Amino acid sequence: MTTATARRGPDWRRHASENGALVALIALVVVLAVLRPTFLTTQNLLNVGVQAAVVAVLAFGSTFVIVSSGIDLSVGSVAALSAMVGAWSSAEAGLPGPVALLLGLATGVVAGLVNGVLVAHGKLPAFIATLAMLSVARGLTLVVSQGSPVATPDAITFLGSNLTPHLPLPLIVMLVVFGLTALILNRTYAGRSMYVIGGNEEAARLSGINVKNQKLVVYALSGLFAAVAGMMLAGRLGSAGPQAAVGYELDAIAAVVIGGASLSGGVGRAFGTLVGALILAVLRNGLNQLQVNPFWQQVVIGVVIALAVLVDTLRRRSSR
Amino acid sequence: MAEPDSGTVLTARGITKRFTGALALDDVTFELKRGEVHVLLGENGAGKSTLVKVLAGVHTPDEGELTVNGRPVRITSPHRAAALGIAVIHQELTLVPELSVAENLFLGRLPRRFGVVDRARMLRDAVPLLDRVGLRVDPARPVRELGIAQQQMIEIARALDLNTSVLVLDEPTAVLTETETDRLLEIMAGLRDQGVGLVFITHHLEEIRRVADRITVLRDGRSVAMLPAGASVQHMIEQMVGRSIEEQYPRRAGEPGEVLLRVDGLTREGAFRDVSFEVRAGEVVGVAGLVGAGRTEVVRAAFGVDRYDSGTVEVGGKRLRPGDVRAAMRAGLGLVPEDRKGQGLVLTSSVGENLGLVTMRSATRAGFVDRRGQRRRAGEMASALRVKTSGLDQTVRELSGGNQQKVVIGKWLLADPRVLVLDEPTRGVDVGAKVEIYELINRMTAAGRAVLLVSSDLPEVIGMSDRIVVMAHGRVAGELPARGATQDRVMALAVQERAVEEMSA
Amino acid sequence: MKLTRRAALAALSATTLALTAACGSGGTASSGGVTIGLAVSTLDNPYFIQLKEGAEAAARELGVELVVTDAQNDATNQVNQVQTLTTQGVKSIIINPVDSAQAAPAAKAAETANIPLISVDRSVDGGKVASEIASDNVQGGTLAAAELARAAVGEVVHLQGIPGASATRDRGEGFQQGLNAGGITVVASQTANFDRAEGLDVMTNLLQSHPGVKGVFADNDEMALGAIKALGDRAGKDVQVVGFDGTPDGLKAVQDGTMAATVAQQPKVLGRQAVEQAVKAAKGEQVQQVIDVEVKIVTKQNVAEFAK
Repeated sequence: MTTATARRGPDWRRHASENGALVALIALVVVLAVLRPTFLTTQNLLNVGVQAAVVAVLAFGSTFVIVSSGIDLSVGSVAALSAMVGAWSSAEAGLPGPVALLLGLATGVVAGLVNGVLVAHGKLPAFIATLAMLSVARGLTLVVSQGSPVATPDAITFLGSNLTPHLPLPLIVMLVVFGLTALILNRTYAGRSMYVIGGNEEAARLSGINVKNQKLVVYALSGLFAAVAGMMLAGRLGSAGPQAAVGYELDAIAAVVIGGASLSGGVGRAFGTLVGALILAVLRNGLNQLQVNPFWQQVVIGVVIALAVLVDTLRRRSSR
Repeated sequence: MAEPDSGTVLTARGITKRFTGALALDDVTFELKRGEVHVLLGENGAGKSTLVKVLAGVHTPDEGELTVNGRPVRITSPHRAAALGIAVIHQELTLVPELSVAENLFLGRLPRRFGVVDRARMLRDAVPLLDRVGLRVDPARPVRELGIAQQQMIEIARALDLNTSVLVLDEPTAVLTETETDRLLEIMAGLRDQGVGLVFITHHLEEIRRVADRITVLRDGRSVAMLPAGASVQHMIEQMVGRSIEEQYPRRAGEPGEVLLRVDGLTREGAFRDVSFEVRAGEVVGVAGLVGAGRTEVVRAAFGVDRYDSGTVEVGGKRLRPGDVRAAMRAGLGLVPEDRKGQGLVLTSSVGENLGLVTMRSATRAGFVDRRGQRRRAGEMASALRVKTSGLDQTVRELSGGNQQKVVIGKWLLADPRVLVLDEPTRGVDVGAKVEIYELINRMTAAGRAVLLVSSDLPEVIGMSDRIVVMAHGRVAGELPARGATQDRVMALAVQERAVEEMSA
Repeated sequence: MKLTRRAALAALSATTLALTAACGSGGTASSGGVTIGLAVSTLDNPYFIQLKEGAEAAARELGVELVVTDAQNDATNQVNQVQTLTTQGVKSIIINPVDSAQAAPAAKAAETANIPLISVDRSVDGGKVASEIASDNVQGGTLAAAELARAAVGEVVHLQGIPGASATRDRGEGFQQGLNAGGITVVASQTANFDRAEGLDVMTNLLQSHPGVKGVFADNDEMALGAIKALGDRAGKDVQVVGFDGTPDGLKAVQDGTMAATVAQQPKVLGRQAVEQAVKAAKGEQVQQVIDVEVKIVTKQNVAEFAK
């Protein structure tokens, strides 16, 4: 034991959990590359990136929530609602595309703020507040759409398109949002507060952090990111569907947890979440290409999720 | 070695227990007779709870010998303790509020018939158990509908088995009102008459006078004296706290300056009433009192953590908005809470992060935290406080209690508050770290800051304060200069009964 | 404090209830005329919305009242709704089962209440049904295979619906039967859960391992549209896509030439026929036990007949 100085401590231990997921990802890629030579082509890797993008962006939003010891079950529904509002305000209300896009983003923020108010001020358990929002947002999506897909304006379709054949925009959006998430978590007051609140809410309060306001920020960010993800999804398809992104919240939560975050809060990183989302996308891509029986695919995905988190837990326990 | 006489139900000889270096129990000897109430007396941290846990089978002693009914035993688990006829009532109740009285009584051993709980039999069997503690309640009622005292009786009824010969009660009266306490003492007397041996822990000397047959005094993990029932309060306190304190408390007092903290008439119904005191620049004001006297409640309310009904808190002449922690902080108030892990630290975060908690806001520009600056300051503070850590990135969870406490104090020192409230700052902290924390207090007051020191450790309050405010039953029972104060004078104020009557009136 | 919060909550719930009532489409049987219940599997899907619209139009023409419930694809929910309908004074009930195998309790409930039951689009396995109105999914799959074989030669992929769903089973079975006509071979069968976004992802992935595919059969139009997205410019040129359902978006794709064909069911006709039979049953008249509503292959040639 030495007296502390400002020198860097053993960072490797802190990053071990992330590397755990990274090791799993690399192993998965190696196995698939051996089994399917077409897996390791530039085009396919770009495909994986694009396919990971929607869940990854949702998961970045969920990282804020989970780090601050909450949960957001509504992100899939909020994504669908935001995209639907964006598409509808252009196709039906005749607003210009960029305005429609902003309206869609605003929808996500508002839904997130409602979650935040219910959790921070209404003292509802996050699980219940966001479960309610899951239902409300999905219902509103159906109300707005009348049950039918609505074509997206160019401004939204652009989000899902390719800039050049080898430069898909969803990939870029994912990387930008990743950078933003890392920046918020590591450098900003809001982000650092998330770790404190998630680690010990009472200590946060007694240290002068406005816990209620910070929770509003957390859920608003989650809603905003869900809106981005929803519009990206709709953009790829050229239309916003009433049943889009059903169940995506569970993929998002899985990605965050695979990435080394703790559901009890205080722990989690943007890079881990990115890796978690990539693991899910690689898995689905690989299972398609290997033509695994659809009945078995769900089994395999479940097993891999459990294994990834199990390995991570064991690793962390042994480093203690 | 003499054979214990036939009346002895339990003996402990030479019990020693170490926790990672610290000696919690050191050669403790204790003897309990059938049909007696034997009080364990000692300061916080003297080893009472550790001894209870040894008897309960929670801790196994490193050295020493235990006998039950004359036979040497090893109490390796709570289960084993129960099998030996030892029942323990811990401070926290362990009832399930939603279940009925009877279900709680038979929890884990519900009478079953054909795999189904035999409800009728359960309700029938509950009656004699409740009779034994003199409790007349419907066994079918949910426990949550009962008062705390009745719940405690149920806990006792549950613990008592037909073969229970030893009943250990760890501060059972701390949460009870006066009349409830009376009832409990009566029941204890009744059990004594039935031949049960009772081990009773309490801080209330009055209760000892009423019910104790013998008193074993623990101090610093040693059993220092065994006193008869008639021992004077004076004598008990002397035995309990009797050690030279001069070199242990390096307080260097200066000339007090302007008033920095003024609490006036602070009242919250049911917690504290009309509490007033002042703390001046350069001064350490100690707050003494028994557990439950309302000390923590008052300082939490003053810091804006909890609400209060009336009264005012002023820092540097500026009145604070009630219930607003950030306003208190802006005015220059800081609080190191009593519950270090629950309220002071973010255990999942690093030493550096924890040190930066309070200053994070002021180190933020345009939403971005100056992490480099935060890190540098945290490093300096860690060095200054001699925090033993492998580095700023070490998780704070891994530090020892004393070093964790230094981190909590350190985060406040970085914010440089004008008045720092320390609530039980040295609880669970080893002697070396204690002295270092005292030196920090000296440094703060020398720099013109003020410290409000809430502590249950009497020698500490007397040794480190300039003035002492003694609280009893939610009120200020008196104030006295630390110089010349004795522990029995403080104790006499802390246990005074006058305040009780007024509160219950 | 607590009281005001509770009062606020009560006010909120009351408002919500009032709002719900105001925009509710349900409603109970009125005193005059015949009332018929329609238990739809889901209204999240344009196809079933059209079915409902066809039923509503027929009900208007025949002067009967129609009470519609939406089970949101939950079979248990649907059983409950049918049970509720039996207590609301309806004279006959049309059920569009969420799942054929799980609809028997609903049939039982109607039978117990002595209310004739008409199934539409999907059948009811077990239980007494007065009339069964359906389009043949198996036949549709066979037609799709024949059309794909006509349009393309070589390797094709099959995008399947939700594993285990009856539409997935029937359409897949028909498709397999139709393959015997020859000319095409299935090189990959993967599920995309009837979802457009998944259709896009799965097709993209399959194109990596099978870049030379010439055709796609998707168990519904949504997945077909996703596959068309994945194919980009190749859709309708060197890769032919055949969908199923004939949804508005699907028909539009046929018109645009990106989708070679879709198998159109006629949901409005299904809904209309169901109501006609239900009214007969309600009046105690003779009903037709089985009504097959034609499925049609829609190609660019005849798409105009379907698109409205």
